[in-house]
Amino acid sequence: MKKYIYYLITILCFGFLLSCENSASEALIAPYIPANIDENAGSWKTFILSSPTEVSIASPAGTNDPTYQKEIDSLKNIVAPNLTNEQRQIVAYWGAGAVYRWNELARELSARYNSAPAANAEGKYPVPDAANPLADPKFPFANPPYVSRALAYLSVAQFDALVSAWKYKYQFNRQSPSVVDKAIKPLLPVSNLPSYPSEDAVVAQASYVILLAMFPGEGPFLRSKLEECKNARLWAGMNVSSDLNAGVSLGGAVAAKVMVRARADGMGAANNQAATADMITRSKSLGFTTVWTSQESPARPPMLPTFGNVKTWNFDRATLEAIRPAIPYIEGSAEFKKDYEELVAIDKNQTREQAAIANFWADGPGTYTPPGHWHRYGANAGFEAKYSEVRMARMLAYLGTAEMDAGIGCWDTKFYYYSPRPQQYGLKTSVGLPNFPSYTSGHSTFSAAGAEVLSAFFPQKASTFNSYAQQASDSRVYGLIHWRLDCTMGLKHGKAIGQYAVKRASQDGAL
Amino acid sequence: MKHTLLCVFISFVSMNTIMAQMPHDQIYMNKNIACGALMYGNSSWTNYWENSLKRDNPNIGKLSTESLSAMIAYGITKKVNALVMVPYVKTQASRGNLMGQQGLQDVSLWLKANVFNYKQLHGHATLGVSTPMSNYVTEFMPMSIGIGAKTFSARAILHYNLPSNLFISATSSYIVRSSVTVDRDSYLNGERLVNSSSVSVPNAFDAMFRLGYLKKENQLELFAEHFSCAGGDNIRRNSMPFLTNDMTMTAVGAYAKYQPKSIGVSAKVSYVLDGQNAGQSTNVTVGLLYLFKVK
Repeated sequence: MKKYIYYLITILCFGFLLSCENSASEALIAPYIPANIDENAGSWKTFILSSPTEVSIASPAGTNDPTYQKEIDSLKNIVAPNLTNEQRQIVAYWGAGAVYRWNELARELSARYNSAPAANAEGKYPVPDAANPLADPKFPFANPPYVSRALAYLSVAQFDALVSAWKYKYQFNRQSPSVVDKAIKPLLPVSNLPSYPSEDAVVAQASYVILLAMFPGEGPFLRSKLEECKNARLWAGMNVSSDLNAGVSLGGAVAAKVMVRARADGMGAANNQAATADMITRSKSLGFTTVWTSQESPARPPMLPTFGNVKTWNFDRATLEAIRPAIPYIEGSAEFKKDYEELVAIDKNQTREQAAIANFWADGPGTYTPPGHWHRYGANAGFEAKYSEVRMARMLAYLGTAEMDAGIGCWDTKFYYYSPRPQQYGLKTSVGLPNFPSYTSGHSTFSAAGAEVLSAFFPQKASTFNSYAQQASDSRVYGLIHWRLDCTMGLKHGKAIGQYAVKRASQDGAL
Repeated sequence: MKHTLLCVFISFVSMNTIMAQMPHDQIYMNKNIACGALMYGNSSWTNYWENSLKRDNPNIGKLSTESLSAMIAYGITKKVNALVMVPYVKTQASRGNLMGQQGLQDVSLWLKANVFNYKQLHGHATLGVSTPMSNYVTEFMPMSIGIGAKTFSARAILHYNLPSNLFISATSSYIVRSSVTVDRDSYLNGERLVNSSSVSVPNAFDAMFRLGYLKKENQLELFAEHFSCAGGDNIRRNSMPFLTNDMTMTAVGAYAKYQPKSIGVSAKVSYVLDGQNAGQSTNVTVGLLYLFKVK
């Protein structure tokens, strides 16, 4: 008997040792040649640029020119022979695509900056200061509206800059280094795409400009990524220095033009707390007996009460008001009671599956928020479809503008009605309670808009995206922070907002 | 019934988890003798360390973790004992709107052996494994009932008998913790965003020093304990804790056991003096012990 117990224990111990793999690794993704290199992208419709040649770049030296030959020589005889393993890893990382990686980096920054300010000793919440971004509280508080906007400008700048880059690529038609000189052995797959200006440098510099404006405390981090992204192209034998320099100059200039719109879109006035008094008055006049109040202690001012006034991308202000969801159920009505009872039932007996769905879509503090989640799905779908850089940026630009429009439309609705949260009726939450009015659900709006756009670009995945949107919407009921109506109406609203982006994409010839 | 035995049990209740540490003393049950114990534990904190910043949180108030655990220790031989423990855990916050959690937590199994005896010095070693018994939520910290990792732990114990039934004892252990699959599909680990649902939980060290009085089945001791992780990140500013955190705690406490016959009682209190990424918890455990012969 004793012997068997020892055997059993020994086996158990080994079993546990084997199962205790203490690492969480992410799948490495392999670089690809685009399914279509999109030769005509130089004539695609841009968002901000009036024409693809609005920013001019210098003509490149010919491939027989000594200055070019010197650059080729440097790749062959200086860069390639001295490549370290670390440099090879950096090449492999950026080989996934510059748009893909910069979108991912933007989501990482969003997650890192997604912390609500802490109350100070006086019980007040200091407002993050863009002029002093690394002080406590850090600037920005990357909440869902903020992230929707940061990612929208990022993708729009990348896209416009790439359209311009494509135009010049085919205008100058400089071949890639390994085509010019067969002795160069590139580390990444080479397509027929002309190499001047470098699309990676265009994306890197445009992304750097936008992200530095959005995350002003991240200069050193962003500069190191910018250098990495550019250097990876030299190390990989994919570009010569002049390809990169032209890309930097073009990407930076286009991003500067995109930032002109960003500075004038009304974001600077999106946190006007003085406007809330009138909002509350309106809510009461609409018949709300209970209006939203902060459930935090000490009470926290609501998140960006005037974000609804920020300039939209794919429809105008009159449309925004016309598609604003109708007034929700008010306390005392039978419909309100039904929604309340659904939450009470979940509060009493939340299933593990409901908790899992609520957690999966929570996208709360310390995450890239729902717009980030949808950008991740978009980038991954583009990657799987082997999108070219410019096609990837285009899809993400329509997605990004739809997400920002969803944020604006939803925030307009939230602060128009100023409706109460379920926690004002004694319910708990399993995901944490956002600090702004209930109706409509932001997750539902962002997700339906995202699903609508991605379904238009990837019709074969439409049912998946739509089921994700439905689940993201349900998750807010399962997490007990939204009434059912907030979610159903948010989905409808988000779908309508997404359709404006799809309509624009269709008119632009992007679908 | 002249079996010398002791059911010492330490539930080291951290910020939101119970890590059942194994019996750490020098006393063994004779062959085929078992001791069953039923333990009630209550751990609570109002202040905690957000990274190294000590603070309270009016949106949590006092966080309480209650547990009810069943344990059996069994004498395989006079020098080798096996122990199994099963806890049910329930959490609750006194303020705010975070939903309390409850459920069966992790089943633990330990094997303890007397490795050497030299005059008054005795050496012991233990090996332990644990695994979650239910698919409880781990990422809703600090309300979660546990961290959800499988663990493997090894512990060394040095025990020295002093005159007048006094003793001193030092123990040290290393706990290997598996990665955990969470419900979400991305999370921050330090400054890095991991796009995966698999979370690395840092391994941990635990060290303890004890001074006590031991006569037959009755015992009284004082102890100091230090727990820390091998790596891990810190709680971000004004944010909730996460599984990746480098949790550190230094606690002091007292333990007493009285077992005149086959039925006995035990009580343990401890208090966290200092820590990082952890609650400053006060922990109380009371137990009912029952000694019986198998076969």
